[in-house]
Amino acid sequence: MYPRPLADDAPVRRFAYASMVVLILALWLVPLMAVMTTSLRSFEEVMAGNYWGWPKSFNFIENYMAVFTQTAMARYFLNSLIVTLPSVVGVLVLSTLTGYVLSRYRFRGANLMFALFVGGNFLPAQIMMIPVRDLMVSIGLYDTYYALIVFHVAFQTGFATLFMRNFIAALPDELFQAARAEGASPWQTLRHVVLPLIRPALAALAILTFTFVWNDYFWAIVLTQSDAVKPVTAGLNNLRGEWVSAWNLVAAATILVAIPPVVMFFLMQRHFIAGLTVGAVKG
Amino acid sequence: MTSVELINIEKHYGGFHALKDVNLTIAEGEFVVMVGPSGCGKSTLLKTIAGLETTSAGTLRIKGRDVTRLEPGDRGIAMVFQSYALYPHMTVAENMGFGLRMAKRPKAEIEAAVARAAKILRLEEQLEKKPKQLSGGQRQRVAIGRAITRSPDVFLFDEPLSNLDAALRTQMRVELSTLHAELGSTMIYVTHDQVEAMTMASRIVVLNRGSIEQVGAPLELYNNPDNVFVAGFLGAPRMNFVAGQVTEVSGSSARVVCAGGLEVGFEALVGKVSVGEAVTLGIRPERLRLDDAAARIRFTGSVRLTEYLGRETIVYVDAGPLVTTGSDSGTNVFTVQIADVRPFHNGSVVSLGFDPADAYLFAADGRTLTPPKAVAKI
Repeated sequence: MYPRPLADDAPVRRFAYASMVVLILALWLVPLMAVMTTSLRSFEEVMAGNYWGWPKSFNFIENYMAVFTQTAMARYFLNSLIVTLPSVVGVLVLSTLTGYVLSRYRFRGANLMFALFVGGNFLPAQIMMIPVRDLMVSIGLYDTYYALIVFHVAFQTGFATLFMRNFIAALPDELFQAARAEGASPWQTLRHVVLPLIRPALAALAILTFTFVWNDYFWAIVLTQSDAVKPVTAGLNNLRGEWVSAWNLVAAATILVAIPPVVMFFLMQRHFIAGLTVGAVKG
Repeated sequence: MTSVELINIEKHYGGFHALKDVNLTIAEGEFVVMVGPSGCGKSTLLKTIAGLETTSAGTLRIKGRDVTRLEPGDRGIAMVFQSYALYPHMTVAENMGFGLRMAKRPKAEIEAAVARAAKILRLEEQLEKKPKQLSGGQRQRVAIGRAITRSPDVFLFDEPLSNLDAALRTQMRVELSTLHAELGSTMIYVTHDQVEAMTMASRIVVLNRGSIEQVGAPLELYNNPDNVFVAGFLGAPRMNFVAGQVTEVSGSSARVVCAGGLEVGFEALVGKVSVGEAVTLGIRPERLRLDDAAARIRFTGSVRLTEYLGRETIVYVDAGPLVTTGSDSGTNVFTVQIADVRPFHNGSVVSLGFDPADAYLFAADGRTLTPPKAVAKI
């Protein structure tokens, strides 16, 4: 059997392996633990410089309430949702359409179009920063939800098209021939045959896109300015500006910001894993 | 009444000429089987009739209507695929009603059509199941049921039994023939399995390299192949072919000498051969006789291998300098099929014989030279 079960290994190697696991886990989790514990500390404790130790008092309710009452985080949350949800829907709809067409129809320029979708992913965001901002200013979308929604949909659709094209291309060709022979139009085939079969891919893509758009900081600060539009990631930075030393509240807000993608992942985990592996093991 | 007409059908894939001037007329209610080796164009031809492939040139008519440029759904056809191509997320009933649903037919009509097809195919118990809960044979029946619900003018089958195991294949073969008798619809069936072709077809179409080699009733094709390709393709084990040369022509008879000195006299070849012409002699394995002193042509050989099939025996005989060409086994031995079981020892010497009236003679270009043999009328 390969790899050999750990229990069969020499004790020394087993010990070394276990120690490495613990060490790496600790390195990985300590900053996260620090943020979590700091989100429970009192303001005085943070001022006294206790960042890493065990909290002297637990201020869970006070701190987390303060995030909503003393800062504009609630507004930022709403902004993030208003930006993220339409972006995810837009990306899923567009990439399903492009993926279906690019995987199932042969036409002049199909490869070039596909190459553009894929190649766009390789453009560094920094290159596009100024042109995209200028574009949004000149079409009057700068500092609106639409600026972020339009940009994220456009930018994410490239990768999503690659993903969906490959997924739909892996579906058996005879299914499409059968549907066509039975008189189903391309739209009917998409609606009744393709969509039900690509649900795992849609779930996986929904999580990836949601996480990316929700966590995006770069474009949030490039394309928005006012609190009324700013998403949570840019909003967190504002907290630091206003509350120079209120690290306990910043930490609490950070935890809150991290929750939606994590919840999303656990909700769709089953589909997500299926979506990533379904091509490999033909079901 | 004519059901399907193919007129000068051509198909090019880039530089590849997949179908070459195919002409075929299929009558209403016929069961036509297209056979041929891999890559002969039989599946392409079927997909062309279905409309899943376009034609490069030519006209296709179904029930007198020119459908050459129509979408598959508008041609009045239904197709059954080798992999069944069932929609995995739909139940059996949903699969069978799919075509009618897409055509937005009333619900009652769909249910009636599904119930009727399920009854014919004994699938009433399976209607609420998903395809993955069914056995291979049941899945294939669902695929056929999906075709039946559309009440098409023509059924198209693309190697529908290839994915089934041998026992199930025999059973489904009988079921399909029964179904054809019940429905009386025109069916076009593609297979590479000549047993399916021989047993199910009212007519067989033999294809080779994109062209039709011969069309005819199964026994007609078996007994009177037009050319050496059809002779070699139909029949298992395969016909024995021996290269020879015409040495003497007198009147309508001719003498052919094969490598190793075997001489065979043929009759009724008026004006068909000339002295010195290279020819191929063909004799079916079941027409070769073992140790039969009454056979008019005789030669000896040694047993190379014997296959005992229970009710018959196949003996491979090495006849020394007399060699066969293009045999199944790739060796140049004769294949003999006898209708009983007798023990043969490898290396033992046997006598082979045949009657020239049972043999075929083919010209260098493949045409059959010998006159047609009598075929039992069915």
